[in-house]
Amino acid sequence: MRNMTLYVHLENGSPVHRMDPLTKMFYVFTSVVISYMLPTHLLVSIVLAVSILMLIIGKVFRSILPIIGVSFVLLASILVVQGFFHPDRATVLWDIGPFTLYKEGFSIAFLILLRVLNMVCAFGVLILTTKPDELVEALVQKGLSHRFGYVLLSVLQIIPQMMALTGKIMDAQRARGLEMEGSLWVRVKSFIPLLGPVVLRSLAETRERSIALEVRGFNSTGKRTRLHELPQYPYGTVAKTLLTSLLLFVIVWRIWL
Amino acid sequence: MKMVRTGLWSFRFSTAALVLIPAAVGINYIGKLFVELLKLPLWVDSIGTVLSSMLAGPLIGALVGIVNNVIYGFTTSPVSFVYAITSAVIGLVTGIMAYKGWISNIGKALVLGFVVGLIAATVSTPLNISFWEGTTGNVWGDALFAWMTAQGNPLWLASFADSVVVDVPDKMVTVLISFLIFRNLPKKVLTMYDTKQEIERL
Repeated sequence: MRNMTLYVHLENGSPVHRMDPLTKMFYVFTSVVISYMLPTHLLVSIVLAVSILMLIIGKVFRSILPIIGVSFVLLASILVVQGFFHPDRATVLWDIGPFTLYKEGFSIAFLILLRVLNMVCAFGVLILTTKPDELVEALVQKGLSHRFGYVLLSVLQIIPQMMALTGKIMDAQRARGLEMEGSLWVRVKSFIPLLGPVVLRSLAETRERSIALEVRGFNSTGKRTRLHELPQYPYGTVAKTLLTSLLLFVIVWRIWL
Repeated sequence: MKMVRTGLWSFRFSTAALVLIPAAVGINYIGKLFVELLKLPLWVDSIGTVLSSMLAGPLIGALVGIVNNVIYGFTTSPVSFVYAITSAVIGLVTGIMAYKGWISNIGKALVLGFVVGLIAATVSTPLNISFWEGTTGNVWGDALFAWMTAQGNPLWLASFADSVVVDVPDKMVTVLISFLIFRNLPKKVLTMYDTKQEIERL
């Protein structure tokens, strides 16, 4: 069984990496909202270009490509469905066999495509350049309950452990004669014998885990001290002011003007 | 272990219920992994969400849904952030209906799955329309969407049909599998999250 880690983040100390995780979160929010409010291809392209520029400054541009790949079916289907079948079709752009690509649909599809790409790239800026622990730590300091912070971080630890467990269970069930290949019905039947033990094992483990946590004062209400002090992040205020004013400007422009 | 006696809507989560969240998200992942390994023609990516709602109630179920999509967005595909609301609603609806007794037999569980699928599709439709003009990225659903818009149906109807044909069968299978697992869980596990029974003190 492949040993997979769930972290996509890459450490290389670029300026984007050293930014405050919360500022980056705010950047993602602003970028996505703005891209959906701006009406023209050119303006949305600029927003996308900024996200890509951030990725390049963060030296993680190559890592965004597989993440875009995951959304490829959605992107392709937007282009095909809107390009060929959008209700406002009038101007023929291109004939492909029995189907016709229309200009109106293609134009809309292209705009959505730019927005979705921007969404993926903007989130990419956050997820590729931020350590999950650092983000959760920053959120806890801003008032997120530490118990919930623990929940978020432990997901990232538990999933690789469970993945490792699946390998063992598959081998064990095969040794008992479980068939996992063949007709659809054979494969369907083997689903529960595979999933059942993982579920049971992980639920039983939660029992031990919660006892272990309570023994260590998980629910204590006393004042907490921190093991790690958060580093000072550069240009946080400037970035936040800039993003807020940009967001307000676009909202005012698109709604009142 | 400190047991917090809770009703259906209590916000005070016991440690056992909180620790269930990461485990349930893990079960979602593993379910999906097995589906891909066995090459089954389904998604079935919310078994953990449904199971945790059955075990610990609607609020934990909804939290599992949100955490699941946030973590999935962080590790695999940012598009899944958009559907965090849908996942939360799946947990919420399953939790409420399970509490009201809709998992007492297999027939009722199938109805539960049907309702969850319908509601999930209803919640996804406005998201699909506002984020990508109605498509879902599922080949079969989108083919139906294309055919329906070409026939002149309104966008919301085509988009809803697009979601329904995928979500309803998928959620019925998900709830059915979760029900089969839930029914066979040992009592020792069930009592950890029991929100109905009073605890007697010595």
